[in-house]
Amino acid sequence: MKLKEVINKIFLIEIFKGLFLTLRMLFSKSVTIQYPLERREVYDGFRGRHALVRDPFTENDKCIGCMRCSTVCPSRCIYIKREKRENKMVVVDYIIDASKCIYCAYCVEACPVCALVLTEDYEYSSYTRKELIFNKEQLLKNWDDFASKWKDDFYFNKFWQPPGINPSRWPKTKREQKPIPIRRFVEIKKEEKNESNN
Amino acid sequence: MQNKGITIKELTVNMGPQHPATHGVLRLVLELEGEIIKKCIPHIGYLHRGIEKLSEDLTYVQSLPLTDRVDYLSSMVNNEGFCVAIEKLMGIEVPERAKFIRTMMAEMARICSHLVWIATHALDIGAMTVFLYAMRDREELLEMFEMVTGARLTVSYPRVGGVRCDVNNRFLDKLYNFIEKFPKKVEEYETLIDRNRVWLKRTKGVGVITAQEAINWGLTGPTLRGSGVYYDVRKFFPYDAYDKVDFEVPVGKNGDVYDRYRCRMLEFRQSARIIKQCIEKLPEGPILADNALRIRMPESPLKIDKKDIIFEIYIEDKQIQEFIQKFTEVYASVEAPRGELGFYIICDDSSKPYRMRVRAPSFVHAGVLPKLCEGSLVADVIANIGSIDIVLGECDR
Repeated sequence: MKLKEVINKIFLIEIFKGLFLTLRMLFSKSVTIQYPLERREVYDGFRGRHALVRDPFTENDKCIGCMRCSTVCPSRCIYIKREKRENKMVVVDYIIDASKCIYCAYCVEACPVCALVLTEDYEYSSYTRKELIFNKEQLLKNWDDFASKWKDDFYFNKFWQPPGINPSRWPKTKREQKPIPIRRFVEIKKEEKNESNN
Repeated sequence: MQNKGITIKELTVNMGPQHPATHGVLRLVLELEGEIIKKCIPHIGYLHRGIEKLSEDLTYVQSLPLTDRVDYLSSMVNNEGFCVAIEKLMGIEVPERAKFIRTMMAEMARICSHLVWIATHALDIGAMTVFLYAMRDREELLEMFEMVTGARLTVSYPRVGGVRCDVNNRFLDKLYNFIEKFPKKVEEYETLIDRNRVWLKRTKGVGVITAQEAINWGLTGPTLRGSGVYYDVRKFFPYDAYDKVDFEVPVGKNGDVYDRYRCRMLEFRQSARIIKQCIEKLPEGPILADNALRIRMPESPLKIDKKDIIFEIYIEDKQIQEFIQKFTEVYASVEAPRGELGFYIICDDSSKPYRMRVRAPSFVHAGVLPKLCEGSLVADVIANIGSIDIVLGECDR
C-alpha cells in the first residue's frame, strides 16, 4: 500500500491518466456546433417567437377576441383591443410584448380556436425594444416567415392539444382542430403573384 | 498592534458581487489578517425578484411558471415541489404514469444541476477540462428536455394534478441510451480530478463541518450528507414515485469539501439508476387527474362573453373552497439538487394563495458560509462556496 503510494507520487500516475484521457478525446468526434454556419435541429413544440396563425382560406387571423389568453398570461403581456361593430365584437389589434413574455405557452393552450402559436423560430433578437412589441400585422408576418421555412406541408403545434391529456378537457373547436396546410397556401399565393405579374 | 514601529491592521476585502467564482451575485465581506479570514459576512439580495409576493397576485396555475425562476438550474424540481404542495392542499390524486414521468424528469434535472455544479466547482479550483466534459453531457439532457417540454431551462412541465404532455418512445429511447452511457462519463470526470494531487490538497480537510453542527445549521441535501447524516426527503417523506423505485442515499464521513464532492458524484449514479427504473416500470394510463385544475378553458368558445371567464374563475374558486375546510395551510417539501426545497402555502377563499413561502436550501446554505470560512485561507472560500452549491436566484427568490 505504501509502496504504491510512493510510486504514484513519483511517477505522477493519476496525472498521466488524466492526460491520456484528454489525449484520447483529441481523436473522438467533435460535439461543437459552429453556430452561425450550422444549426442544430429544433424539436417540434419548441416555444419560440409568437405568431398569429394566418388562416389559409380567409387570409386573416383566427382570433375571436375571447380574452382567454390575456387572462391566463402570468406575466400579463398580451393586450387585446376590441370594438363592437354591428352588434359583433371585432378584434382591432392584438399586441404581445415579447420582452415581457416568459414563454410558458399557457396562452397557446388556453386559446379555444388555436389562433395563437409559439413557433419553433428562435432567431429574433433586435437592437431596439420597440421591435419586440408585436402587433397584429407583425404577428401575422411572423407566421408567414415561419411558414415559409417550415419543412412539412402541414403544421400542428403540440400545445394546441397537449398529447396524453383527455380531449374532453378542451372546447369543441379546439378538439376538432386539424393541422394547418402550409406549403399549398404558400404556393397558391405564389401563383397568384405570378398571374398578376403576367 | 504596535510592533517595532510597524502597524498591523485588519484588511477588509469585498468579494463579489461580480466575482465569477461566487456563482451569481453573492457578496462576501472578508476581514483578513494576512491571508487568514477573521470574519466573513455574506450579503445577499442582489437577485431578488419578489417571487413570493408576485405569486399572491396570480392564481395557482399561473404561479407555476414563476417557480421555474426560483432555481433556474433545476426548474423541473421546483415545479414539482410546487405541484406536490398544491396537490396536498387540494387532495388531488396524481395518476401513476404522471408520477413516474415526474420522477424521471426530476432526476434528469438533478443530473443537469449537478453537472453545472461539478463544472463550475472544478473550474474554480482549476480543472478546466471537467467543465468542458460536463457541459457536453448537459447539452444532451437539455436537448431531451426541449423534446418533451418545449423549453431547455424553464420547463413549466408538471401541472397541478399531473404533467403537461406525454412522453413518446423516441424520447424514452434517447434517454435510455444516454443513461446507459452516463456512468462511464462520470468515471471520466473522476479520472481527471478524483485522485489528482492538486484537487486533493484543495479539498481534503477544507471547510469541515461536523454532523451535529450541520444539523444545527439546518443544512440539507448533499451538503448535510457529506457530514455523515443520513437524511433524504426522497427516502423519509416519499413523494411521487420515489417509494416505488430502488436507490441508495450516498453518505460522506468527514464533512469536508472532498466528501461533499464524493456524495454528489455518487448521486449521479443513483439518479441514473432511478431514471433507468422509471423507464422500465413506466405504466400506461392517463397523465392528468380528473379533478386537476384547468387553465381557463370553458366550453362554448365562440361566445365572446366576459361571463364565461368569470364563470371559470368561479369554478376554480369553488374547487378550492371544497378543500379549504380540510386544510388552510400546507407545507410540502421535495429533495432539490441543493437540499430540501419546501413550499409553505396559506390558502384563503380565492383562487390565489394568501401567502407563499419558499424554503430555499441555498438561503440556508449561504448562512453557513461564515462558519466554514472563518479561520481558513482566502483561496478556500472559493472551494467552500463551490461545495455548498448555492444558486443565488434561489437564495434571493
